[in-house]
Amino acid sequence: MRLLLADKPASCAAVFLIAMLLCALLGPILLEEVASKQNLRGRNAPPFLFDQSWTMWLGGDQLGRPLLARIIVAAANTIAIATGAVIASMTIGTLLGLAAGWSRGRAGQLIPRIADVIMSFPSLLLAVIVLYMLEPSVGNIILVLAITRIPVYLRTARAEVLEIRERMFVQAATVMGASTRRIVFRHILPVILPTLVTIATLDFAFVMLAESALSFLGIGIQPPEVTWGLMVAQGRPYLVTAWWLSFWPGLAIILTTLSLNLLSNWLRIALDPVQRWRLETGGKKNG
Amino acid sequence: MKIRNTLLCGAAFAWLALPALAADGTVTIVLNEELETLEPCMASQSNIGRVLLQNISETMTELDPSNGELLPRLATSWEETDDSTWRFALREGVTFSDGSSFDAADVKHSVERTLSDQLTCEIGAKYFGGMEITATVVDDLTIDIASDPAQPILPLLMSTLTIVPSETAMEFTRDPVGTGPYVLEEYRVGQDITLTRRDGYWGETPAVEKATYLFRTDDAVRAAMVATGEADIAPLISQTDATNKATDFAYPNSETTYLRIDSSLAPLDDIRVRQALNMAVDREAFLGTLIPEDAKIATHMTVPTTLGADGDLEVPAYDPEGAKALLEEARADGVPVDTEILLIGRLGNFPNVTEVMEALQAMFADAGFNAKLQMVEVAEWIKYYSKPFAAGDTPALVAAMHDNNRGDPVFSMYFKYACDGLQSGMCDAELDAAIAEATGTAGAGRAEAWRTAFARAHALSADVFLFHMVGFSRVSERLDFTPSIATNSELQLAQIGFK
Amino acid sequence: MQRFLARRAVSSGVSLALLVVAVFFLSRLTGDPTDLYLPIDASAEAREAFRQLHGLDRPLILQFLDYVGDLLRLDFGDSIRRARPALEVVIGAFGWTLQLALITMAIVSGAAITLGSLAAFHVGGVFDRIATFFSLIGASAPDFWVAIVAITVFSVGLGWLPTSGTGTLWHWVLPVAVLFIRPFGLILQVVRGSMITALGSAYVKTARAKGVGARAMIFVHALRNAMLPVLTVIGDQAAALLNGAVVVETIFGFPGVGKLMIDSILQRDFPVVLAAIMVTAFAIFLMNILIDLAYAALDPRIRY
Repeated sequence: MRLLLADKPASCAAVFLIAMLLCALLGPILLEEVASKQNLRGRNAPPFLFDQSWTMWLGGDQLGRPLLARIIVAAANTIAIATGAVIASMTIGTLLGLAAGWSRGRAGQLIPRIADVIMSFPSLLLAVIVLYMLEPSVGNIILVLAITRIPVYLRTARAEVLEIRERMFVQAATVMGASTRRIVFRHILPVILPTLVTIATLDFAFVMLAESALSFLGIGIQPPEVTWGLMVAQGRPYLVTAWWLSFWPGLAIILTTLSLNLLSNWLRIALDPVQRWRLETGGKKNG
Repeated sequence: MKIRNTLLCGAAFAWLALPALAADGTVTIVLNEELETLEPCMASQSNIGRVLLQNISETMTELDPSNGELLPRLATSWEETDDSTWRFALREGVTFSDGSSFDAADVKHSVERTLSDQLTCEIGAKYFGGMEITATVVDDLTIDIASDPAQPILPLLMSTLTIVPSETAMEFTRDPVGTGPYVLEEYRVGQDITLTRRDGYWGETPAVEKATYLFRTDDAVRAAMVATGEADIAPLISQTDATNKATDFAYPNSETTYLRIDSSLAPLDDIRVRQALNMAVDREAFLGTLIPEDAKIATHMTVPTTLGADGDLEVPAYDPEGAKALLEEARADGVPVDTEILLIGRLGNFPNVTEVMEALQAMFADAGFNAKLQMVEVAEWIKYYSKPFAAGDTPALVAAMHDNNRGDPVFSMYFKYACDGLQSGMCDAELDAAIAEATGTAGAGRAEAWRTAFARAHALSADVFLFHMVGFSRVSERLDFTPSIATNSELQLAQIGFK
Repeated sequence: MQRFLARRAVSSGVSLALLVVAVFFLSRLTGDPTDLYLPIDASAEAREAFRQLHGLDRPLILQFLDYVGDLLRLDFGDSIRRARPALEVVIGAFGWTLQLALITMAIVSGAAITLGSLAAFHVGGVFDRIATFFSLIGASAPDFWVAIVAITVFSVGLGWLPTSGTGTLWHWVLPVAVLFIRPFGLILQVVRGSMITALGSAYVKTARAKGVGARAMIFVHALRNAMLPVLTVIGDQAAALLNGAVVVETIFGFPGVGKLMIDSILQRDFPVVLAAIMVTAFAIFLMNILIDLAYAALDPRIRY
């Protein structure tokens, strides 16, 4: 905690993320009604009209619904999808990548080819196939997004393992008879994790935006359900005439990504014994 | 890296010229999609039509969309010789752009080619489906065209059929040859198409010498291109971008939006429920908000300039309380009014379609319906729209947009209302008879016959009509051109003048 | 080395074959192009004629065998929508995509590696914070925002650049600039992260103790070690660009393979979908082989 307070941006980030989580948990219960109340004749109401109810402070959308309330309600679906897809693809990708990098046999040859195939399989085609066979639901959206994001973790983990397994400490552990599982999870994983987490934090933004592309195809979240990605996409035609429609949900995505990244940077430093002094001495001095 | 950047910058300066702004006599037109083919027998697709129709490929007759009158083009006159045969007199002294002269053999070949099953031409499938057409050459400039069953509107059908020289092969061509005032100069796939004016056209020499067609999918970009002078005409821009009174025109685009009711399933088989659906929609609230204010509230499947339009028909006024009352009445009679009703919309069907569907769903909910919205992509939507309906045993409303720019309801009514119509949610013996009667009626009584059919569909509350839609075009101020209902399917360069 | 290449060529070939089989059968699960191609009111006879014309009425397995037979003669079939050979359609579009991807990735890699290393050299410094902040915003901003705002400002407002199209080099400025932003943010973050780790490790400290100059230290020792994950992420981003940059292609009217692929999938133009996947997959497999070779070149200890 002391270490977190030492890093001002990271503490702001933590506060923001906690607020978002609260929105995701409570928003749908408290604000569902307000957020779906349409008012066609008062559509695209501009933001910053503080004489109205607080839900309208960020303006109204193309059906006259209050944007602020919608962003809060949408946090639930958005965070569920993004977290689900990122964690699933990161876990599966990393495990496969570890196996591919460590194995000198068939698995080392075979697993990277899986990544090749996924990378070349258009995610859109995958989406259309899933759409045809299954219902568009949160679970299926996570499935599509997770599959398409596996290769980046797989390949990154493999590349790092290829190098690390040749390092002294790994060789030493092998000689001392440590089990493969112990070497891979205790010695190698901690070294490659920071890079993977960096990618994962940025993937949050990517997944949220990719989800909106799926909505255009009919597989993403469909109205009257809502996500930030869907709001961004639906506001696109109004970018020049009513910028706030896509700006606020877009800002929510950017701030969430920014916060996650700041927090993960802080975590990386706080957990690294070599780097921790940066925080303990106030976190401002140059390295 | 640095070296590469320097090289790039250097090259950039060498190529410094920005695209020259259009010179006199040339126009640049920016379309919303790249053309898939340049095949004249596909010219019923709007973008292919905008390039080819009456610019390169001409038709025998031409429909004046403002009043529904049929004008001579390559045929100078026509008459009915017996019940099923029409005789066309052809224009003299017409040549194709490849130098060959136009005669009856070309017409015969064009008819056979368009209807051939080796090609599956859209014009053939769209306008000549379910009939047998035989063309017989009488002499060089006279041709008989017979149809089975008889077609009272055969001359109108000929306004859709593009004429190609008799040498044209039975495969899709990439180099269309026609009798029109322009000739294809260059087609750079993915980039642009250029037409130039040719000598030896039979009619008046048009003012435009050269036309270049560009393709941009994004609405805002097309509008911006006319604003910056990179293009002169954008036939289709979005309502939100149409903000400049001097350059932006709204025009009726012959499209009608409606919700098709599957009236074979409860509770939609009850007329009170269908009436309640109609009363639940606040149509006025859409106009000027999600739907352009120039759009008209629809009362027919076809636009008001089409034959048989009845100005007296009206949709019920917005009355959610009345709708609730009707539902209660139906419920009292044992109609399962609480059944979930599927509301199907097609993504990208028309501007703001998702928002319109969300609003409709909310309106139905307010009137006491249990409606569930589902937006689907086009391939899936077709399965819901055409028989056998994909919704199966679920009562469903399918949102659709129907286009009939040919001036006669025959292209709409059978498919949308007959018991065997592919997209018909209605089966009513009286309506079937009225449609069959009107289809076979020629001459003055035809309008009245259609009016009867429209009135019957209206009395049944067969669907929830929404709007006769409008499109928006942006035209550079240096041009003298006003978009019309025809702009949805063609763009005659000969109608463009310079100020 | 030669053994490695031979082995990779074989295994990539097998992957490609698997991909073709999977795409062929899975794509057919998504429906028939007939309804999409013909007008909605087309008669049953017209539909049947269309299916026969394109061989869609035959059993799927026979269609597949025919396709493979043609493929062995390098015949990819004809596009259903465009009445042109599918391969010709795809190659035309892929040429544009390849140029766009190469130019963008060259600029992105150079910029991200340079700025990322500098940021890592002074962790928490002003430069680091600014670079991190802007790269993160760039990486998480919706790309169409940037594209539309750029057109509104630079083309409509200032008149400096053409809105869209492909005529001159000026036409490339906005698309490349928009494509630059996301990979730049991601790669810069990975470079920065890897470099922090590398700079903290023992051998760099050794180098520092030996008194090698600061700049040489970064670029020779640490960067070389930090490059492995960076190279992977560059490859991943390049692969995404080779699959086509749909938003940029759509907005700037750029005739690349991304929009072609989307249109073909939505219209069920199977020959084009298959040809496009094979061409882009070939490019991506080739790139991954090059990347694996680069790993070995960067770190002699890595053997395959």
